[in-house]
Amino acid sequence: MASKLQLCVRRLSTLRKHCCFPSSSSSSFLVRSRSLLIQPSRTINHHSSIHSPPLSRTFYSSPLLNINSTDTEGPAAIDYRSLLQEGEFHSLADSTIHDLQEKLEEYGDTVQIDGFDIDYGNEVLTLKLGDLGTYVLNKQSPNRQLWLSSPVSGPSRFDWDQNAQAWVYRRTKANLLKVLESEMGQLFGEPIKLA
Amino acid sequence: MLRLLASKRSLLSQGTKILPRFYHEKVIDHFNNPRNVGSFDKNDPAVGTGLVGAPACGDVMKLQIKVDDTTGEILDACFKTFGCGSAIASSSVATEWVKGKQMEEVLTIKNTEIAKHLSLPPVKLHCSMLAEDAIKAAVKDYQTKRAKSSGDSETEPVEQAAKV
Repeated sequence: MASKLQLCVRRLSTLRKHCCFPSSSSSSFLVRSRSLLIQPSRTINHHSSIHSPPLSRTFYSSPLLNINSTDTEGPAAIDYRSLLQEGEFHSLADSTIHDLQEKLEEYGDTVQIDGFDIDYGNEVLTLKLGDLGTYVLNKQSPNRQLWLSSPVSGPSRFDWDQNAQAWVYRRTKANLLKVLESEMGQLFGEPIKLA
Repeated sequence: MLRLLASKRSLLSQGTKILPRFYHEKVIDHFNNPRNVGSFDKNDPAVGTGLVGAPACGDVMKLQIKVDDTTGEILDACFKTFGCGSAIASSSVATEWVKGKQMEEVLTIKNTEIAKHLSLPPVKLHCSMLAEDAIKAAVKDYQTKRAKSSGDSETEPVEQAAKV
């Protein structure tokens, strides 16, 4: 079973390498017009894993609906041309997750919580707080989102907001770092800074 | 085929460490004996269809409700889900919970309740959120259909009056 898993993981990581390689060259296109960016991302989709079909095949109850991007109760239309390019998304998301990991590891040394454990594997950050619960933060690449599972507030999905330069949960307008700071501040018993 | 997908998914979700992670028996029960699997005719005016998720993300749920036009009570519900065991169980629970309730009432069903009922682990809380979204989408679809059809029936008499 372990070898099968490793095979799956290796397969996924080689596929990811294939789709990451062309995207790193696409960053040079940023200087040119926006229309050029769309073409490289289409070829990326062909190289990407079997499990992620082109964005146009996402299902919605009515045309162009996305449940996760809305500031009202119901779903709203989403303009895919304004979405982050895959390479940009990965570098932003990875740097956010790594920064959080480092800061949380520092707090781990000082904070008095039984069963405090931080783990980063397969691009998923897991923070165990013993009886207080577990936080899981991972990338959801097809949606260009960061998904958080919190023992306090449950699941939430953050999109990158270019204007605010932050990860924002559109339904509640919550900012990822602020949410984590306030929740963990309560759990740790001391205010923390993650920004 | 769903079972194959579900078992592959559980392999992948465990990561490279082999941790003893088990599906809760309620999830297994819903997976082996799913309640209310099926489809209604989506053109039926009494049926609301909620379709949420994306194959790329790994989860797609279709939840349909059959509503009594006069009382607003949900008479029947069914679902079809592509995804992991937790997603299937969450949508199965959702169809069980909406039956016999008023539409306004089911909008208050929270993903946290579904997750607690199934004892979902942290990584699977998103499945329960998708189930909550599916319920809301189905109700919204039914209400949109009703609004459209009542809008049409209002213009008809006007046209008749104009003819006369």
